[in-house]
Amino acid sequence: MNRAFIAALESIYPADRLLTREVELLPYESDALTAFSAVPGAVVLPVNEAEIIDTVRLCHEQAVPFVARGSGTSLSGGSLPIPDGLTIGLNRLNRIKKLDPEQRIAVVEPGVINLAITEAAQPYGLYYAPDPSSQSICTIGGNIAFNSGGAHCLKYGMTSNHVLGMKVVLADGALTQFGGESIEGVGIGPDLIGLFVGSEGLFGIALEITVRLMPQPELYRTVLAAYDDLGRAGDAVSMVVASGLLPGAMEIMDRLAIKAAEASVQAGYPDAEALLIVELEGEAPQVEAEFDQLRGIIDESGAFEVRVANDEEERTRIWKGRKGAFSAVGRLSPDYIVQDGVVPRSRLGEALVEISALKEKYQLEVANVFHAGDGNLHPLILYDGREDGALEKAEALAGEILALCIRLGGSITGEHGIGMEKRDYLPAMFSEEEIDIMQALRLAIDPKEIANRGKMFPGGEAPALAQHGMHPLERAGVISRE
Amino acid sequence: MTVSAPASVAELQALVRDSERIHAIGNGSKTALHSGLNGATHADLTKLSGIIEYQPAEYTVTVRAGTPVRELSAALREQGQYLPCDPLLPESATIGGTVAGNLSGSRRYRYGGVRDFILGAAVVDGLGRAFRVGGKVVKNSAGFDLSKFLVGSLGAYAIMTELTFKVFPDVPRFRSLAFDYERLEDALAAIYFINQNIFELDALDLKPLENSWQLLTRLAGFDETLPQRLERFSAAVMSHTSLLKIAELDDSVTLWDPLADLRGAHLVKVALSPKQVPDFDRRITAAQRRYGVGGNVAWVATENLSQVDDALQACSLTGLCLRGAVESAVIGAPVENVLASRVKQVLDPHGKLV
Amino acid sequence: MATAIEKCVHCGFCLAACPTYSLLGEEMDSPRGRIYLMKNVLEERLEAQDAQPYIDRCLGCMACVPACPSGVEYGDLLVSYRGAQEESRRRPPLDALARKLVIEALPYPKRFRLAAQTGAIGRVISDALPAAFASMLNLLPEKLPPRLPLPPVLPAQGERRGVVALLPGCVQQVLAPAINYAAAQVLAANGIEVHSPPDAGCCGSILLHIGAEREAQKIARRNFTVFPRDIDAIITTAAGCGSGINDYELLFKGEPDAESATAFADRVMDFGAYLAELGLLAPAGFKSERRVAYQDACHLLHAQGIQSQPRTLLRQIPNLRLLSIADAGMCCGSAGTYNIDQPDIAAALGRRKVESILAAEPDLVASGNIGCITQLRQQLALLGNPLPVMHIAELLWRAYQGDR
Repeated sequence: MNRAFIAALESIYPADRLLTREVELLPYESDALTAFSAVPGAVVLPVNEAEIIDTVRLCHEQAVPFVARGSGTSLSGGSLPIPDGLTIGLNRLNRIKKLDPEQRIAVVEPGVINLAITEAAQPYGLYYAPDPSSQSICTIGGNIAFNSGGAHCLKYGMTSNHVLGMKVVLADGALTQFGGESIEGVGIGPDLIGLFVGSEGLFGIALEITVRLMPQPELYRTVLAAYDDLGRAGDAVSMVVASGLLPGAMEIMDRLAIKAAEASVQAGYPDAEALLIVELEGEAPQVEAEFDQLRGIIDESGAFEVRVANDEEERTRIWKGRKGAFSAVGRLSPDYIVQDGVVPRSRLGEALVEISALKEKYQLEVANVFHAGDGNLHPLILYDGREDGALEKAEALAGEILALCIRLGGSITGEHGIGMEKRDYLPAMFSEEEIDIMQALRLAIDPKEIANRGKMFPGGEAPALAQHGMHPLERAGVISRE
Repeated sequence: MTVSAPASVAELQALVRDSERIHAIGNGSKTALHSGLNGATHADLTKLSGIIEYQPAEYTVTVRAGTPVRELSAALREQGQYLPCDPLLPESATIGGTVAGNLSGSRRYRYGGVRDFILGAAVVDGLGRAFRVGGKVVKNSAGFDLSKFLVGSLGAYAIMTELTFKVFPDVPRFRSLAFDYERLEDALAAIYFINQNIFELDALDLKPLENSWQLLTRLAGFDETLPQRLERFSAAVMSHTSLLKIAELDDSVTLWDPLADLRGAHLVKVALSPKQVPDFDRRITAAQRRYGVGGNVAWVATENLSQVDDALQACSLTGLCLRGAVESAVIGAPVENVLASRVKQVLDPHGKLV
Repeated sequence: MATAIEKCVHCGFCLAACPTYSLLGEEMDSPRGRIYLMKNVLEERLEAQDAQPYIDRCLGCMACVPACPSGVEYGDLLVSYRGAQEESRRRPPLDALARKLVIEALPYPKRFRLAAQTGAIGRVISDALPAAFASMLNLLPEKLPPRLPLPPVLPAQGERRGVVALLPGCVQQVLAPAINYAAAQVLAANGIEVHSPPDAGCCGSILLHIGAEREAQKIARRNFTVFPRDIDAIITTAAGCGSGINDYELLFKGEPDAESATAFADRVMDFGAYLAELGLLAPAGFKSERRVAYQDACHLLHAQGIQSQPRTLLRQIPNLRLLSIADAGMCCGSAGTYNIDQPDIAAALGRRKVESILAAEPDLVASGNIGCITQLRQQLALLGNPLPVMHIAELLWRAYQGDR
């Protein structure tokens, strides 16, 4: 990183918030997608809006690429540093600036943790609805960049549907503001919130975000149904949908995922080929009536065991297993790829059969966790990075799953985004002209392509694949793996 | 003024390429949006009509932009589903016009507005290029989401030809209650109370009566649970707010049409927050008005548009005029935005689309 | 070590639980970041000395362990790494001196008592001393409390329900002899016979915590033979001892007495956990309502999973209202010798903890660990707040005495 640029950063940041030593930079070289790593040239930790704006303007002026980073939990490599670029760590901008329970809104800084909003809103009987599995640590800024979803998206939507207003600095340093405190968001004029949310950090940085809060449901009814066949669990979802019920969440886990979650949090899941979690929420009398109907459907669906959470603790336990399932797979395999694809819900069964065939073909284990209500699959492909070619094999399998999603009329990403991981698959989903238009849009906002350079669009600089295979100390015989 | 009605996307593309200035129009139900265009060619989209794909099991429907809302709603109703963003002019608007104007009715309160239910679109931009934005499944985060950007875009960035929506099962059993308050502040306090409570209303509107304010509330659900829910709800509101009277009203389409009682040459939509209502309202007391979606939208009918314009300016609010002939449909505080102009530069660099 | 590092999938779930990350907001000061640094040191991509300040800043509170879905044994990793690095490590002279004092004095009650008394004199000149010393001195009370010796065998009252021995610990006997005294009385009141072997002493955890493995082994060994065989459990009233002893398997791995070490470790139980399991005989309780905040010691909550047991005990005390405090699982900054090594962070965490306790408006605070108690008292004193802080054993003893 050039000296003049560092010197300019020094005029914005005190020494303890400008990280340039190797020991300070290495821990930032990956996010939650460790297959890629890149050492940034520097990391800055702004504590206010002005510092962010100055930094972005400086980057634009000197054409230095930057990536904004919250807690580094992206599963698509969205916050992967740009080699020798600048990483702007926003996690210290973590103030909830305003909480107005009467209007059900909160105004927050980008580094505020998703769950912190709910915690702040709870005393007023409110909560922040989007609940990505990493909600205890992921930040709103990152949620905005990737339009994060979660298990409860079916009814109330993803991040985009919960943002009412934003103040942003565009990649070329221009400041702008749209939306406000009305539930209508932008209201009059094009929905800029909808455009900015999910733009994967390519347009700029959100400085201040107004989110809407929802009233906490009076009652949750969470049902856990066990099946001896994955297809049957999928059929149960179709039955629920056909009945006219609108559950807050419908989740399926297969045997391997159950095993991992069980090892991780001892959720007390039954021993089954597939588990279906269905959660109803709302006003108690209505939910109870819906629950009666749901019980009937589940009983007919061929579940061999049905459990109902009797209290909040049991409900939390059911969800804890599900939410920790990705990371829990780390207990079963040294390495794995978390895939994120969408198929039309009615073709879930078909997709599962094909994934199962792919497993055989590649001789790799795949654990399946998915938001069945919205057809969002999360196959976890297990591999051992120490074996030669294992990563490549796993990636090839992942690629086939994405191709499958597109073939069935779905999407290559439901909620993790394209990021670094899927940039080469973008052309499979969009035509050349569509990608050209998106690229032109990006250039109109960021002529120097400095904001999160290398993400979303195919090609660009090749990222460093993380080191796999024998550990140097293993080779030297110093350590061994049990 | 030239009017042309393309029967295919290719014809629309050719029309855009061959025109200097072009304005998309559906059924023309919002007259103000189609006035003051200084002779731009009108692209009548009503021939681009019909449902392309409806899969009730997927909760998704794809329709051509010129499809009447009435036709779409009827098809959904047959399957026990509905479009929860509740298009504003259910009898006269096309679905494309509903998206372009971002116009929802009162039931939008329950699950969200147009932006919350649009999943994808096919468009023709100002360069005559036809392409898709967004996706066709209920969840998708690939690429820039230009489909949401179209909501409220008034056809000025690209002309929609096809739209995909998320739809939900409907529970068409309703009960409606009206709570009357002496002052606007009391009625708003009731909204704040409801906002922080467990009651899941289907709709929540507020309108001035002669000497009081009426809060209109609606619950939807199963027949067997509605009496109990209504009871709990009314008891809670009665004990926590200072109301004049409460009455159950006959639930009807007219009751929940926010425009039903509004008479005036002009009709204006304003997006605002409940706490902006008092300041705005005191400036437009001469106009007929109703506040929808828990005080987040104002519908104002007036003979005197400049008075509403002044009120909007004073409150830094923007309005969209829907009825009557006007020079510019957007009134009040300007909405120019640097991000929007960058998009314009890409999709319509020659400024053809108006 | 490699296995533990491999297991980390870099998901970041641990960040939310980490006190230093919440305070400093840097990846290097998070569990995930530290694991990454350790990995890079082991792979020789980084110099150990560059990574050391960040490893040193880890409180060892173990809050990240239950937060980790992948099951990274962070505690084992940290202990092994610290032990391995300690051998080759060069410290600045003053740090080295402070450390030597810790190793030479803290585990030995007699020496510590002496040092403490000298320290009390030293307080006068503490401002002139380097931070590490100053913080050490700040921890010491003005005047040491008198010794409260326990008889070798304290008989059970009423029907005998059990027999236990007390692990006396090190620092705690000098700074707060009342804790073990109260624990013994409460146990006796519950029909439990309490042995206090005269030769029992420090368990070595405090040394293990700072990476002084050999010294820790040496001192731990002395306890293996001094406890009677025919007892139900060896009771500890210090959270750090309980969790440190859990690490004996690791500490004595490959040593000839590894088996004795694990056999000993298996017999050790926390005071509150033991009593809750046996079932409390209801005490007289308080005459009027007492609002009590319970402060979770990291080495009980995170390292041993002891969360409900002390609360169960407290709820059984008549007229006691148990309050819940925000961020209950967040370390108070005491963490063994952390107070001494990292005074600034310790103070910041302590202040935060005290603020969340005060927000609950308690009449008194109970905890299961001397370190937390000292830290909270010190932080309250800085605010000029007289809120009493005591060990849960002391609180129970008060309840048995009918709140005199």
